[in-house]
Amino acid sequence: MEQVIQFILSGLSQGGVYALVAIGFYMMWSATHAANFTHGDVFMLGAVSTVVFGEIGVPLILAMPLGIAVSAVAGALIERIAVRPFNHGPSSIGWMLTTIAIGLMLESALTATYGPLGRPLYSPFAQSPIRIGGSGIYAQELLIPAVAIGLMVLLELFYRHTILGRAMLAVAANPTAAGLMGINVSRIALIAYAMAGAVGALGGILLAPVSEASSSMGALIGLKAFVVAIVAGISNARGVVIVSLGYGILEKFIEGYISTAARNSIGFGILILLLLAFPNGIFGKREVSKV
Amino acid sequence: MTPRLQFWLVLVLGIAGLYLFREMGPTNYAIGVLTRCLILAIVAIGLNILIGQAGLVSLGQAAIYGVGSYFAAWLALRAGFGFIPAVASGIVAASLVGAALAYPSVRVRGVYLAVITIAFGLIFQNVLIEWVPVTGGTLGLTGIPRGEAFGVRLTRQIYFWVAAGCLVFAFILQYNLTYSRYGRAMRATAQSANAASALGINVANTRMFAFVVSAALAGLAGGLYTFLNLFVNFETFTFFQSISFLLMVIFGGVGTLTGPLVGAGILTYVPELFQEFKEWQTFAYGAMLAIVMFVMPAGIVGSLGTLADRLTSKARSRQSGAWPAADALPKDTTKPSATGSLVADVKGYTIVFGGLTAVSQASMRVEAGKVHGLIGPNGAGKSSLLNLMSGFYTPTAGSMSLLGQDTTGWKAHDLARAGLARTFQNTELFGDMTVLENVLVGFHGHYKTTLIETLLRLPRFGREEKAMAAEAASLLALVGLSDYSDELAKNLPFGHQRRLEIARALATRPKLILLDEPAAGLTHGEIEQLKVLIRLLTERGVAVVLVEHHVDMVMSLSNEVTVLDYGEVIASGPAAQVQDDPRVMEAYFGSGAALEDMRKLAETAGAVA
Amino acid sequence: MADRKVVSLKAASAAALLASGLMLAGASVANAQKAEPCIGASLELTGPLAHTGKQIVMGAEVAIDEINAAGGVLGQKLKFLAYDDQGEPSRAVDNGRRIGEKDNCIVMIGGFRTPNAIALREPIADMGLPWVGVISAGTSVIEWDKGENKWMFRVSMKDRWVAPFLVDEALARSKDKKLALVYEATAWGQGAVPDVEAAAKAKGITLVGKETFNIADQDMSAQLIRLRDAGVDTIITYMVDREATQLLRSMERLGYKPTIISAWGISSQLGKTAGNLTDGILVAGTFAWNGNLSPRAQKVYEAMKAKYSLTSPNDILLPSGNANAYDAIYIIAEALKIAGAFDREKMVNAFYKVKYEGLTANFDPAFEKAAAGAKTERHDAIKPTQYRMLAFHENVLKPVEQTPYKR
Repeated sequence: MEQVIQFILSGLSQGGVYALVAIGFYMMWSATHAANFTHGDVFMLGAVSTVVFGEIGVPLILAMPLGIAVSAVAGALIERIAVRPFNHGPSSIGWMLTTIAIGLMLESALTATYGPLGRPLYSPFAQSPIRIGGSGIYAQELLIPAVAIGLMVLLELFYRHTILGRAMLAVAANPTAAGLMGINVSRIALIAYAMAGAVGALGGILLAPVSEASSSMGALIGLKAFVVAIVAGISNARGVVIVSLGYGILEKFIEGYISTAARNSIGFGILILLLLAFPNGIFGKREVSKV
Repeated sequence: MTPRLQFWLVLVLGIAGLYLFREMGPTNYAIGVLTRCLILAIVAIGLNILIGQAGLVSLGQAAIYGVGSYFAAWLALRAGFGFIPAVASGIVAASLVGAALAYPSVRVRGVYLAVITIAFGLIFQNVLIEWVPVTGGTLGLTGIPRGEAFGVRLTRQIYFWVAAGCLVFAFILQYNLTYSRYGRAMRATAQSANAASALGINVANTRMFAFVVSAALAGLAGGLYTFLNLFVNFETFTFFQSISFLLMVIFGGVGTLTGPLVGAGILTYVPELFQEFKEWQTFAYGAMLAIVMFVMPAGIVGSLGTLADRLTSKARSRQSGAWPAADALPKDTTKPSATGSLVADVKGYTIVFGGLTAVSQASMRVEAGKVHGLIGPNGAGKSSLLNLMSGFYTPTAGSMSLLGQDTTGWKAHDLARAGLARTFQNTELFGDMTVLENVLVGFHGHYKTTLIETLLRLPRFGREEKAMAAEAASLLALVGLSDYSDELAKNLPFGHQRRLEIARALATRPKLILLDEPAAGLTHGEIEQLKVLIRLLTERGVAVVLVEHHVDMVMSLSNEVTVLDYGEVIASGPAAQVQDDPRVMEAYFGSGAALEDMRKLAETAGAVA
Repeated sequence: MADRKVVSLKAASAAALLASGLMLAGASVANAQKAEPCIGASLELTGPLAHTGKQIVMGAEVAIDEINAAGGVLGQKLKFLAYDDQGEPSRAVDNGRRIGEKDNCIVMIGGFRTPNAIALREPIADMGLPWVGVISAGTSVIEWDKGENKWMFRVSMKDRWVAPFLVDEALARSKDKKLALVYEATAWGQGAVPDVEAAAKAKGITLVGKETFNIADQDMSAQLIRLRDAGVDTIITYMVDREATQLLRSMERLGYKPTIISAWGISSQLGKTAGNLTDGILVAGTFAWNGNLSPRAQKVYEAMKAKYSLTSPNDILLPSGNANAYDAIYIIAEALKIAGAFDREKMVNAFYKVKYEGLTANFDPAFEKAAAGAKTERHDAIKPTQYRMLAFHENVLKPVEQTPYKR
C-alpha cells in the first residue's frame, strides 16, 4: 500500500510536468494546426532564466514572473519567425524543421553559456519531504499537478467566458470562418504561442527545485508531452491534462512492478495501442470524413 | 529542365565526380566520410519517396535504418553470414518493420502517424539498450568481420564503390518509381485520398508500399553502414538521427529527385567544417538550417528549381480547345453495355450516422446509355447516397449490384475497378500534379506492367506508358484541355478543373459515372457544353447518374429521375412524370397545408410569449 | 587487401629504419611515416556531457603549455586538436580517422565514454595510431577478448580494478553486509555489473539488490523501495551527477539513508545541486583538487585558474579526469623523448620505459609489457593501489582522509 501511494504521488508529479508542457501543445495546435516541435526547450528556458535571474540577485518572487515572461516572448517570437512563414495548409511540415532548428540553437546556446550541468533553484516547498508512512514526497512535487489541474480549470473558464477565449475557440474550430467573422487569426496565434510559452515556463520553474534547471532538461519531456498530447486528442484541453497525469502514474507503476529498464518500451507501446484504438486521440473529436 | 534530363545529368556527373574523387588519392579518412555520406543519402532517398511521393512523415526512420544495421551485424557476428546474405536479411527485416509501421497509416494520418513513428523509434532505442544478450546493450556489437563478396575482400577502398553502386541503384529506383503509375498513385493518395480511391487506387496498399520501399532502402543503408564501421551502437539510431534524415529531405527539397543527395551531402560535411566552432557548433548547425529555410523554404533543390523555372519558362497564354470534341473520345474509354441493360441496381440502401438516418431504403436502377437524375432539396441525402453507391460509405442495410455482380459494401477502389467512376461536388484534383498526370492516374487499374518491369524499365513499360499517354491526350482533347497538359492542375480556372475531373473519371473506362453537381460554378455556356458531353457519353452506352441543383438541366437530360427527401425516395420515374408529382412539389416548395401549419405554430408561440 | 598493399609500399621505403619494428609488429599495420607533433582528441564538447570534454581540454592544454614553455619535445612545440563527438561512437571513429589519417597526429587522447573507446579499437589498430584514454574506464577498452592490444593505453581507472576497490570499501562500512548496486543504463553502468558481482563473490557475499535507471530519470523511488525492503544498508553506484541528485532526493523522500559508495561518475557539481544531501557520499577517484595540494599540483591549479577563469577548485568538475589528462600528456612527452622521433611505433615501444612522477601517481614505469606468452601486459598506468577514496564534506569533494568519513 505504501508503495502504491508512493507511485501515485510520484506519478502525479511526473504527469503534472507532462501536462504543463502538453497544454502548451494543445494551445499552439488549436491556434495554428502546427506547434513548436521543440516546445520542451521553451519549458527549459523558463526554468534556466529564472535560475539565472536568481543568481544575479533578483528575488525569487520577481525572478519567476521574469522567467515566465522570457518564455512567453520566446514562444511568440517562434510563432512569428519559425511557424507562420512555414505553415501553409495541412500537409506542410516546414514548421517542424524550422522549430527544430530554433530549438537546437536555443539548447546549444544555453549549453555553451549557462553550461551543460543542472543548477538548483530554491523553493521553500522542496526543503523537506512530507512523509506518509514509508513513502514521501516534496510539497513542491504535489504543487505541479495541482497547478496543472488549476490551470486547466482556469483555461476552460477563460475559453468560455472571455472574448479572447471565445475567439480562440472559434479559430480552433474553423480559422477561415473565424477570420471572416473579423477575428484577427494571426494575433490569436501569437497570443496562443505566448501563453503556451508561459505555461511551459511555469512547469519548468516548478520542476527545477526538485530536479535542477539544465539546458537539456526539456528535450525528452517535450517529446513525451507531444506524444501524450496527441494520444490524448490534441483538441481537448481536459483530455490532455487527464492523460498526462495518467501517463505519469502509469510510468511509475511500470517502474515499480514490471521493470525500470523497460519503462519507455512498455509505456510507448501502450500509447501506440491507444492511438490505434482511438485514431483521433482518446478524447479527440471524431472527424467524419467528408467527401 | 525536364526530370529526365536532370536525372541523367545528375547520374553522369555524380559518377564522374566520384571517380575523380578517387583519382585525387584521398586519405582513408576522406573515403570513409564520403562512404558514410553515400549511405545516408540512400536513407534520405527512401524517406523522400515516403514524404515527397506518399505524403507520409516518418520520425522513426533512424530506427528502421537501425533494424537493418543490427540485423546484418547480428547475423554476421553470431550466425557467420557473409556480406551479401547479411545485408539482404537486413533489408528484409527492415521492410517487415516498415510494413508493420505502415499498418497504422490505414487508420491514422498526419501528425498522429508521425507520433507513432516517434514512439516506435523510442521503443527501439529502449530495446537496443536493454536487450543485452542480443544487441550488446549500450556497448553495441563490435568486431564484425570485414565483408567479402564474390571472393573480394571489401576494404575501405573497394567498399566505397559498393556504397556508391547502391546509391546509384537507389537513385535510379527513385526516378523509375516516381515517373511511373506507382509514383503517380502515391502522389495521388497524398494529394487527395478520396479522389485516388475513386480512381481505383487502393490507398492503404499504396501507403504500405511507400513505407516498405522507404524501409527497404533504410535497411539496405543500415546493412552497408554495419560493414563500413564494423560495429553498431544504439547511439547511431536515435531520435535525433531520425530528425537528421528528415532535415536532409526537407533541406534538399521534398519530392525533388536530387534533393536527398544534396541534403545528405551538406548535413554530412557541414558538421565536419563546424568543428572549428567548438562548443558553438551545434548552434551553428541550427542557425544554418534556419537561415537556409528562410532563404529557400522549398529546400535547396526545390527553391533553385522554382527559380530556374521562373527564369526559363516563357509565360504563354494557353488556349482552351472547343469541347466536347466528340471525335477525340478514345475507343478504349467506352466499351459499352447494350443500351438499356441494367448497370447498377441499388436496393434499399440505408445509412445511419450515430442515430441520424441520412439515407433510408433508397432504391435505384441505372441503365446503360441512360441519364439517371438524382434530385432533392438541400440535405435530402443525395450526396450520402452517391457516397454509398461509390463505396465511400458502408451501408447499414440494403444491397447493390453492378453489372450483375453483387457489390454491396465494396470499397471505393474496388467499385472503381469494377467500372464505376465519379466526380466530386468540390472538385478533388491532384493540384500539384500536371493536367496530363491527373488523367494518367485514372488509368491506374488498367496497367498490365508489373512492378519489376516498371523498376527495370523493361520494354513493356515504355510501350504501355506511351499508349496510356496517347489515350490521356485524347481525353484531354475531348474536354478541350490539350494545351494545358503540362500545367499544374491547381493553376487551372475553375471551369477547366471540372472538365479535367470528368476527363480523369473517364480514364477509368467506366460503365457507370456518377456526376456530383458537375454544373456548379459553371457559366451558362459551359453548362451547355457539359450537357453535350453527357449526351455523348450516353450515346456511347455509358450510364450516368446526375446529381444537380439545376433542375432544368436534370429534367432536360435525364431519362429517369429519382427524388430524395429526408433520405427517402419520394418519387422515381420518367422525368416528365416526376416533375408533376405533388410530393416533389411539396418537398421543394412546401405544400399549402404545411404553410398553414407553420402559421398556426407561429401564432401559438407568440401567444405563449 | 588493397589498403594494406598501399601502406606496405610506403612502409618499404622506410624499411631500413624500421625493419626490426615491422618484424615485431607482425600482422598489424605500421604507418612508418613521420607523424606530426600534434595530439588529437575526440571529446564531448557539446550536448549534456559537454563539461567532460572541457575537463580534459583544461588538463591537457595546461600540460602542453608547460611543456612548450620548457622548449617543447625534440625541439618541436606540441599542438592539441580537440574534436567533438557528441558522445556518439561513430563520430568518435570519424574523428579518430581524421586525427590519424588527415592530421597525421602522433597520438590520440580518449574522451569520457567507454562505447566510443570500444568502437575505436579496430580503427586504431588499423591505422597504427597510439591512443591514450584518460577517463573511459571500461575494462574491455584495454583488455581485448580477441587479438592483441598494441596501441591502446590508459591513464585512468579500470572497472575490473575499481569494482573490488568499491566492494572492499563498502564492506568496511556496511553493518549487515547487505550490499546493492545501482547503475545507469549505459555501457559504463551495464559493464560494471559483472565486475561488481565478481568482486562481491570474491569476498564471499552476493549482492542483495541490483537496480538500473535511465539517463535523465527524475525519480528513483521505485528502485529504492525495493532496496529498502530488502534491507540494503550500503549501495554501490555507477551514476553521474544529474541522476545522483535524483537518487539523493528520492532517498530523502523515503527517509531511507544507506551509505553511498560511488564509482567516479560523480563530480564536484553534486555538492552544488544536492547540497547537504551529499554529506558523506564516497566517490572513488584518482585525484582531488580540493583539500591540501602538493606544491606542483598547486602550481598546475594556479595555471588552470588563470587560463580558464576558475573561481575555486570546485569548478574543476571532474578532478580525476582532469588530472589524468594532465599526466597523460606528460607520459606522452616523456615517451617521445625516449623514442627520439615523432614515430608512432617507436613511441609505443617507449611507453614501457617512461618513468614519471605525476599528479595522480608515481609511474614507474608507466606501462609494462606482457611477459612472453602470458597475457599480463599492463596498459593501465594507474594501479589499483593508487586509487583514492574521496568524500563529500560540507558540499565539497575532498580526499576522504581529510573528512570525518575515513575508515
